[in-house]
Amino acid sequence: MSADTVDSAVGTIRGRKKVVAGVVGGALWLWLLARWAAHNTLLDSVFTTIGLPDLIRSEVRVGVREPWIPAAPFEAIADAIGGVAAAVGPAGFFFEWLAWPFELAAFATSTGPALAEGAFITVYLTVFSMAFGLVIAVPLAVTRVYGGPVSSRLSLAYTELIRGTPLLAQLFFFYFGLPLAGIIGSVGIMELSGMPRTAAVVAIIAFTINSSAYQAEYIRAALQSVDEGQLTAARSVGLSKLEGIRHVVLPQGLRFAIPGWTNEFVYLIKYSSLAAFITVPDMFRRARDIGSDTFQYTEIYVVVGLCYLGLVITTAMAMNRLEDRLSVPGIGQSAGRE
Amino acid sequence: MSLLRVDSVDKSYGDEPVLHDVSFEMDRQQVEVVVGPSGSGKSTLLRCVNRLTEIDSGEIYLDDEEIHSVDENELRRRVGMVFQDFNLFAHLTARGNITLGLREVLGLSKAEAEAKADDYLDRVGLADQSESYPAELSGGQQQRVGIARALAMDPELILFDEPTSALDPELIGEVLRVMEDLAEGGMTMLCVTHEMGFARSAADTITFLDDGKIVERGPPEQLFENPEHERTGTFLGELTGLHQ
Repeated sequence: MSADTVDSAVGTIRGRKKVVAGVVGGALWLWLLARWAAHNTLLDSVFTTIGLPDLIRSEVRVGVREPWIPAAPFEAIADAIGGVAAAVGPAGFFFEWLAWPFELAAFATSTGPALAEGAFITVYLTVFSMAFGLVIAVPLAVTRVYGGPVSSRLSLAYTELIRGTPLLAQLFFFYFGLPLAGIIGSVGIMELSGMPRTAAVVAIIAFTINSSAYQAEYIRAALQSVDEGQLTAARSVGLSKLEGIRHVVLPQGLRFAIPGWTNEFVYLIKYSSLAAFITVPDMFRRARDIGSDTFQYTEIYVVVGLCYLGLVITTAMAMNRLEDRLSVPGIGQSAGRE
Repeated sequence: MSLLRVDSVDKSYGDEPVLHDVSFEMDRQQVEVVVGPSGSGKSTLLRCVNRLTEIDSGEIYLDDEEIHSVDENELRRRVGMVFQDFNLFAHLTARGNITLGLREVLGLSKAEAEAKADDYLDRVGLADQSESYPAELSGGQQQRVGIARALAMDPELILFDEPTSALDPELIGEVLRVMEDLAEGGMTMLCVTHEMGFARSAADTITFLDDGKIVERGPPEQLFENPEHERTGTFLGELTGLHQ
């Protein structure tokens, strides 16, 4: 096992556990990607144009998707265990517990397609908001650390305003308060197939702004941990302050920021569920709708919780891998801590 | 014509005076060693010359140009600096440390910059370490990369700010040898150092700075054998005793 643990990319998960986590995570993503490909109207039209309309069938506007994994075997096992439970009388509660995971599995397979569709929205809300947020956060953090008295205070004020108010309030402000939805809706391209709905665009804007403030704080802390002699040395070679920041401070600071950035990524995956409250049909909203259709609230929230957990753990694993890839001797290596 | 002329420079940090009426001149190819007790203003003096610190009054001329009339980035390209703590760019290899300035400041192509970097690494005896990161190098090797980084920019003058003070004793020699080679090769050097062996063998002039003022300045023989001021003799005697 020792050979496996030396170059472990997944934080504290080691050896065989890492392999299990990798296989389960990989299977989850394989299933999600296959589902998205099958549901995607854009892909469907692409394949229709190149003359292969049946290669991937998106079944446009079909409300209920067919699950690929049948629920029947799980139901059969649950029924069998249930039968035993009825036979043994008062001690049957133990068997009823035993049957519950199988009932849950059967329920998960039938709700999976809808959740996968929602997961697509959850993922793109998160990825776009993180990416756009980073674009705003880097100049915010640089201004905060290296800016003049006015600009650094402006940056601080922005950060504190955004961090100091509830995300849900911000989301409602942008959706119900500002006429953003109307403006976005009036842009012609929103009508094209494959484009996210206006509510989703408003959600991305709100999450981007919110996330930029948190990311800026992580990056600020990371920039401040870069030794000041680094910028002095850069300037002594003849680089301007901005060039020194760009070529010397940021490459080091952003490496230090990856753990904090992972944290924000993980938060946003879960906080993106707030988009459900402005009608975005993300994974959480699908779960809520299924819950009110079936009244199986316990089951659906356990299933959707596990789905979020899967997304979060695979993201954390990927980010750990990224951190290892980008590490250089002296910066971001974990060898000394093993 | 002198390369560097420092003319009645004053500098204070708040109410704390650091340099007072400091004036001296250096010719090309000259090696000047500045000594003085801790807090005497030696490092500040160096930092004033490449404008990492701005002076309060006085003038500093590089090649007959007042340095405040020159763009600061251009000035720093012409005046190299070697640091006590090396300050190598931690995320770059030894070669990358040198090519960054060559590419961004001098505008060399990648191939030109790398060839030049390897050439200078070879000069400081580190041809085989071009791919190593600073964390993989010893202190002495890091400082030699630091010298190569300064040297590769083709500066007119290099400032050395206590280049061996952070080194283990057994690593000091390799850095001093590189500095002695530079001095013999005709590089103009302004060095703050407590290495009296180096001062004796390589310096043309030694300046004794105390309390922000130049107490005494002259060739090594004069300051070591025949100092005008008792303080100079005592201080140099202590340093020599300590380091030899």
